[in-house]
Amino acid sequence: MSNIKITIDGMELCADETKTVMQVAEEADIYIPHLCHHKDLHDVGGCRLCVVDIQGKEEAQTACTTKVQPGMIVKTKSEKLDEMRRLSMELMLANHVDDCTTCPKYLKCELQSLIQYLGVSTSRLRRTLNAVTVDTGNPLIVRDLNRCVACGRCVRACRDIRGVGILEFAKNEEERTYVGVKDNLTLENANCRFCGACVEVCPTGALQDKAGVFKEGNRNDVLVPCKNECPAGINVPKYVRFIKEGNYDEAAAVIREKAPFPKSLGLVCMRFCESACKRSGLNGAVSIRDLKRFASEVDSYKWKERAFKKESTNKKVAVIGSGPAGLTAAYYLAKLGHAVDVYEKLPVAGGMLSAGIPDYRLPREIVESEIDLIREVGVNILTNHKVDSIAKLKDQGYDAVLVAVGTDKGVRIPIPGANLKDVHVNIDFLRKDVTHLDIEMKKTVAVLGGGNVAFDCARTAKRLGSEVIVVCLEGEGKMTASPEEIEEAREEGIQIYNNRTFVKVDENDGKVTGIVCREVEDFHFDENKKLVLNIKEDSEHTIPAEMIIFATGQKADLDSFGELELSQRGLVSINDSYHTNIEGVFAVGDAVTGTASVIQGIAGARKAASNIDIYLGGDGAIEEELSVEQPLDPNIGLEEGFSHKECSHYSCVPVEERIHNFDLMTVGLDQESAKCEASRCLQCDLRPKLTKMKFWTEYKVK
Amino acid sequence: MREMEADVIIVGGGASGLAAAISAAEQGAEVIVFEKANTTGGCANMAMGLLGVETKLQKERLIDCTREAAFQKFMDYTHWRSDARLVKTYIDQSASTIEWLEDMGVKFALPSKYFLGSEATWHIVQPKTGAPGLRAAATMIKTMTDRAEELGVKICLESPIQRLIKDEGEVIGVVAKDKDGDIEAYGSAVIIATGGFGDSPEFIKKYTEYEWGKDLFSYRIPGLTGDGISMAWEAGAARDRMDMELVFFAPNTGGYAPIELPFRQPNLFVNLDGERFFDEAVVENPVFSVNSITRQKNRTVFSILDESIMKEYEKNGLDLVNVVTSNISMDDFKQEMNDMIKNGNDVLFIADSIEELAEQTGIDKEGLIKTFNQYNESCKSTDKLFNKNPKYLKPLVGPKYYALKFAPSAYGSLGGIKINYNTEVVDNDDKVIPGLFAAGTDANSICNPDYVFVLPGNTLGFAVNSGRMAGTNAVQYIKENFSEE
Repeated sequence: MSNIKITIDGMELCADETKTVMQVAEEADIYIPHLCHHKDLHDVGGCRLCVVDIQGKEEAQTACTTKVQPGMIVKTKSEKLDEMRRLSMELMLANHVDDCTTCPKYLKCELQSLIQYLGVSTSRLRRTLNAVTVDTGNPLIVRDLNRCVACGRCVRACRDIRGVGILEFAKNEEERTYVGVKDNLTLENANCRFCGACVEVCPTGALQDKAGVFKEGNRNDVLVPCKNECPAGINVPKYVRFIKEGNYDEAAAVIREKAPFPKSLGLVCMRFCESACKRSGLNGAVSIRDLKRFASEVDSYKWKERAFKKESTNKKVAVIGSGPAGLTAAYYLAKLGHAVDVYEKLPVAGGMLSAGIPDYRLPREIVESEIDLIREVGVNILTNHKVDSIAKLKDQGYDAVLVAVGTDKGVRIPIPGANLKDVHVNIDFLRKDVTHLDIEMKKTVAVLGGGNVAFDCARTAKRLGSEVIVVCLEGEGKMTASPEEIEEAREEGIQIYNNRTFVKVDENDGKVTGIVCREVEDFHFDENKKLVLNIKEDSEHTIPAEMIIFATGQKADLDSFGELELSQRGLVSINDSYHTNIEGVFAVGDAVTGTASVIQGIAGARKAASNIDIYLGGDGAIEEELSVEQPLDPNIGLEEGFSHKECSHYSCVPVEERIHNFDLMTVGLDQESAKCEASRCLQCDLRPKLTKMKFWTEYKVK
Repeated sequence: MREMEADVIIVGGGASGLAAAISAAEQGAEVIVFEKANTTGGCANMAMGLLGVETKLQKERLIDCTREAAFQKFMDYTHWRSDARLVKTYIDQSASTIEWLEDMGVKFALPSKYFLGSEATWHIVQPKTGAPGLRAAATMIKTMTDRAEELGVKICLESPIQRLIKDEGEVIGVVAKDKDGDIEAYGSAVIIATGGFGDSPEFIKKYTEYEWGKDLFSYRIPGLTGDGISMAWEAGAARDRMDMELVFFAPNTGGYAPIELPFRQPNLFVNLDGERFFDEAVVENPVFSVNSITRQKNRTVFSILDESIMKEYEKNGLDLVNVVTSNISMDDFKQEMNDMIKNGNDVLFIADSIEELAEQTGIDKEGLIKTFNQYNESCKSTDKLFNKNPKYLKPLVGPKYYALKFAPSAYGSLGGIKINYNTEVVDNDDKVIPGLFAAGTDANSICNPDYVFVLPGNTLGFAVNSGRMAGTNAVQYIKENFSEE
């Protein structure tokens, strides 16, 4: 490698001899029109838009394929060159539909920007119309060959960058060159890896992501949907790849970077990642939660060596509530050097994780083991300590207080009979053993509600020996409970009555005998978020039951905190910094957002902890690199049967073995199946690594 | 959060935003343009040209449409619903705008009519190569972008605006977002020019009488989601009349597709009852035609011709020519027809009898037969129903019959933000919101109720001219209110 001097458009530039004129011009931010050239691909000089004059050469040369030479004098701009370029454009436009207005790439299209730059409108050559049907059969990639200009970028990206090589040039019956899939197979059958590189490098609208696969937004974020959708921003592709490689400790460390409670999340996370997973359109999302469970189960805590722990700041923080939000905030605040006391009104720490979610889904020992790690960084948890007044707490010398009390007050719908003896609310029922609440079980139990908590109640009652039915307003398929919960409950013999509204609890001499319902045709919420029901005529009927459990939502119990400003929904109001209306008092979790997921609680708590640290004079930095850097190999290669690949996910123990006890009812993945499942990942994180091409508008010299 | 500062902040880098940027910068203002796409020009990249009245180009060609006549025509056509002072300023300024663009380096082809009987006000951009047709104005965008940057205008691409920043009733800036996050950009004046809501089915449904995909098959240029209109309303702007810039197309064929060529001619048009509903000679005026189509059942009509007319068109050319389709030939039509037959479609119908045609199209059979008989009778004498010009009365005799379905469509939207004739945005009490200006399609209330097809070039014409006015007015506003230096 040696440095030589060349001149481009009168500008003297130092250049590396191995480079092309195009590369040197690009480095100097000088625009040379181009279409088939892409920074990450080897150049072929096909589109001939990058022709330049080189002193001493009679014919114009393509800048992308011409190596620089000492003393070379290059001219990139002249009317003659533009004329040659326009002719090349017209040849390309003759193979491209005239109509840009229906193209999703409008204003994001390199060809369109070249039309602007070179001043070409329609081609004078034969016009190509929408002659080929747009191929929308694939769930992820739309191919519109009417917009293909045969630049071959996709062919090169697929073959040279990815080592997959399933795209190739072909000719149709009219002798028109187009880019086809090998042997005219579907993308699935050609073993496409669906990495999206072809779409990414396509300069026109010929290859597009199917609408809805990605959200709008910052490219680097939205192109990796699992990570983007995770409220805590866990780097999913990174830990999935570590699992595939058998590097489980590092996988666990990646998760830990953004969330304590990985084991709990591995069992009960709402998995926004999987809903967003690009593979779900193909043959089912990657079972990310199961992979998380696997990684956290085999974790040997090597990440602890890399975790930060700051010197003591001599500041004291009180956290009210030891749920996932409260403890996550406490964890980071303690790591930041503050002394943290967590006040918990129940005899156990963990909030809904230990006193809400039943043990058969999330065993208390697992939560306890995760809380041990939080205690390890210095968090002091005081159970059986109900806080009655924030003011009193502040008088004890705390510099900041975080309210993280959650929403643990079940809601009783005000219908006649709602307060009878054998009518209970969800949370009281679920934590009756913790609070020593004496609830006498009955033979038949009706749970009212269609969410996950309703099913927790129903399946708990089932395990206590009752016959259980679930009655809810939502229709089949509209219930908010996860599909597995519903399916597994049905397997356990729990009956579900959909489309019901509740009229009253039937009684006989104070004893519950059933729930009187009406059938609902449909329902919606009006502008004031008020429920509007369309009730079927003469549909009133009674569903017999001796015990009723309301599982129709929860609210925050804020009776002791009258000084806090609340929102219209009865939740704690905070500003962007998680600060409440009271100086030094912050709030986070369900008490702020309304009942949400564990991961949302954790994500909020991280931000709250950071803000409290800033309030206390720190820098608010809580990010930590617990895992090693992961080199990304863009060459993913071909894999036979990749599109159809299926592995196992968690399994449920048989019904007979699970309905008589509260033992964990699911079995996670073993090493082999975890590696297999991890290998189904489409590695969406590779795509943002491809260089985003600049348009003429973005160059300094154009 | 990062901060930026300038005199004038412009939301949208289309034709209107660029015109505003250039005119403000020419008067010494520091200007930032925020554009959400990867390149400038917005819908103007698909446009052809803009209105000019009493331009040198017209005078050289003895085109004698005067400002006074154009103004009168404009106001007659809109029944004085439009802001007459705004229209007057626009028309009076239009010639100097053409010259302003020519000075930058834009070249224009002949000033053109849209159809016979309209005025030759349409200054179609001359591309460097290719016909001065669709996309020709993209060439002008390059020139305008270069000019803006030469004047020091900062153009931030891929940077959509989130909202306006207001302080004590005055608009003082915007919050933009780019790949690195949010930016607060402060300026003494903000000009909104985001091009309307043509790509927002929600807006269309809520604010017009149409539903996209049901009775409206308009162009949906990606990104025209009413951003500027929403943020102006949020800042207190009054809502002005909103409508679509209506034309008619065969649904889902792309608009002015070759398949429409022989069907956009003054032969037999019927509705679903099989009845004629207008003098087909009106077909050359897209807005008159779509207005009458909108009144028909399901807002669906059919243009019907037979093999004899088809053959005559192939041999002698069409009856009516309009500029947009002038470079499409009957060969293109035939090619597209064959592709459509091959690939299947739901707008083109070919039958061997009138009865079969009725069955295929869903037109009432008895009604259609009756109309056919009456129409063919008229062709022997006169059209007693609408008194259509006898030269367009061609009998339909078969042996093959062709029908193409037409429905309302649109180039985009019209209006949304209420401005006064100084392009200042006003609130519900018609009080000016200090510091806020709007231009282009977001504020195009002059085509009220209809696009003024008799003076073609109004969309791009109003965009560039109102942008230019807004740029000048914004600088004037700054000079009057912030001139401590």
